Amino acid sequence: MQELIVDRAAIGYSNALIIEELSLSIPKNKITTIIGPNGCGKSTLLKAIARILKMKSGAVYLDGNAIHRLDTKEVAKKMAILPQTANAPGGLKVYELVSYGRFPHQKRLGALKKEDYAAIDRAIEVTGLNEFKNRPIEALSGGQRQRVWIAMALAQETEILVLDEPTTYLDMAHQLDILLLLKRLNEEEGRTIIMVLHDLNHASRFSDYMIAMKGGELITEGTPADVMTCLNLQQVFNIDASIVKCPFSENPICLSYQLC
Amino acid sequence: MTKKAFSRFTLMMSIFIVLTFVAFYLHVTNGIFDMSVWDVCKTILRINPNEKYDLVIFQFRLPRIVIAGLVGIGLGIAGTVIQGVTKNGLADPGILGINAGAGASIVIFMYFFQLSSITSTQSSFSSILMMPIFGFVGGALAATLIYLFSWRNGVLDMQRLILSGIAISSGFGALSLYISLKMNAQDYEMAAVWISGSIYNANWTFVASMLPWIVILGAIIYKKSPLLDYFQLEESTAKSLGIKVEKEKSILLLSSIGLVSACVSVSGGIGFIGLMAPHIAKQLVGIQHKYVLPMSAVIGMFLLIISDYIAKTVFAPSELSVGIVVSIIGIPYFLYLLVKLKV
Repeated sequence: MQELIVDRAAIGYSNALIIEELSLSIPKNKITTIIGPNGCGKSTLLKAIARILKMKSGAVYLDGNAIHRLDTKEVAKKMAILPQTANAPGGLKVYELVSYGRFPHQKRLGALKKEDYAAIDRAIEVTGLNEFKNRPIEALSGGQRQRVWIAMALAQETEILVLDEPTTYLDMAHQLDILLLLKRLNEEEGRTIIMVLHDLNHASRFSDYMIAMKGGELITEGTPADVMTCLNLQQVFNIDASIVKCPFSENPICLSYQLC
Repeated sequence: MTKKAFSRFTLMMSIFIVLTFVAFYLHVTNGIFDMSVWDVCKTILRINPNEKYDLVIFQFRLPRIVIAGLVGIGLGIAGTVIQGVTKNGLADPGILGINAGAGASIVIFMYFFQLSSITSTQSSFSSILMMPIFGFVGGALAATLIYLFSWRNGVLDMQRLILSGIAISSGFGALSLYISLKMNAQDYEMAAVWISGSIYNANWTFVASMLPWIVILGAIIYKKSPLLDYFQLEESTAKSLGIKVEKEKSILLLSSIGLVSACVSVSGGIGFIGLMAPHIAKQLVGIQHKYVLPMSAVIGMFLLIISDYIAKTVFAPSELSVGIVVSIIGIPYFLYLLVKLKV
């Protein structure tokens, strides 16, 4: 079952091509994580999938339709994106930001209906933000703020969630907290989750499928057991890693490493 | 929570509408020729009409107040949109060069069509109606230039927007000055008064020429005002929510250029209203643009009517340009914002 297909994509900024040609498919109802060294093009790929960055050539297919030909509002009903750096304007309340997620479902601007309020309440409930909903976002901690953005994406009620480094700047406990929330959303509601993570052990522990990139190219893809091997990590990150089994998830994790 | 914001909005709107009536009252009763409220009411309600009063009220004071109100509304709305779209709290139609562009184009128009001959001839009516269109062309040209210069790698660079706005503003200012120096004395005087921003020569034709712009463009912008909330997020977030960011921003910006141009064509370069009104509105009703926008319009209306009243009376019988009065209030406020916002 394939839901999202990237077909011969060439992606880059005005004068630098980051990804020359890349094809891959992302399985439905699974958690897929893209890993790779800094500058390998993983965020660029994610932005292209999210149609924030225009591709030079190639296409992304969502349920068989090329995304750039679909109405952007229709795409927003199927796919929600959590950007890497998300800034909220000063004074904006949690509830208001979460309500922004209802934009693609509104026929008339600014007129929320009963089902919109229900979706907002549900998103706030799931992310455990009930007691904060009337607080301004700048008064929250980093972990709570990240939850607010996830809540906004959830209020969008999409099958697919795209997240660019959702755990950056969070301490260890809050990182796990966010990832467990994503895992729950995947298991209980069957949402497809596509994300970029820097922490290999988190990627291995929480993903069903992993994609490793380097220099704009796909190096390897598959289950965490397929991807998290000494050979692959050497090729992708230039590290000599000692791989052990995670006592919590049985997936391979990297105990320690040195540069090759 | 939304109810609270709404009742606050209604309260503040009512307060400012009352204040506007106070300003209206002061403006209509005071002047070289003082009248009592009674006289004003009787004249407007056509009880024992008196020719002298009719002339003062209908030919001089009313059109002037209506123009001040309309220009204030237009600048208040345009300022809110421009600040919202650029995400820059110090942006203002004047700072962005749209004023100067529209101004230069109207000075050129005056130069070629010899507007000093505006009296009551047939042709002058159509040429007054033409002025906002000329203003729009100039404003749109300035805005396009600024847009082109501030476009970098497919995104609008806000630093560059402000800088090129300043450059283009002084460029068009110089052009206006150059052309106005080549005019004959009578035209020059009119252009000079007009450039510094004044509405003392208001008449009903001006009202007719700008009212449709204010109504139509104001309605378009109001309908789209919730979008301004989304534009306060990162552009990529707005895009991922399914908003056609470039298209909607262009519609909003073009509409406000139209508003500013209509205002400039009638009143000349009045700055700072577009800067002050949205800030005061946000202080009063919060950050939701469906409230900020009408609030800002009403505040703009009030500020301009009261400024014009001050301009008319403070050195009576000689008058100041309302643009100068607004600047005298506006510059300290601008500096205060600069310090407070730490931009």
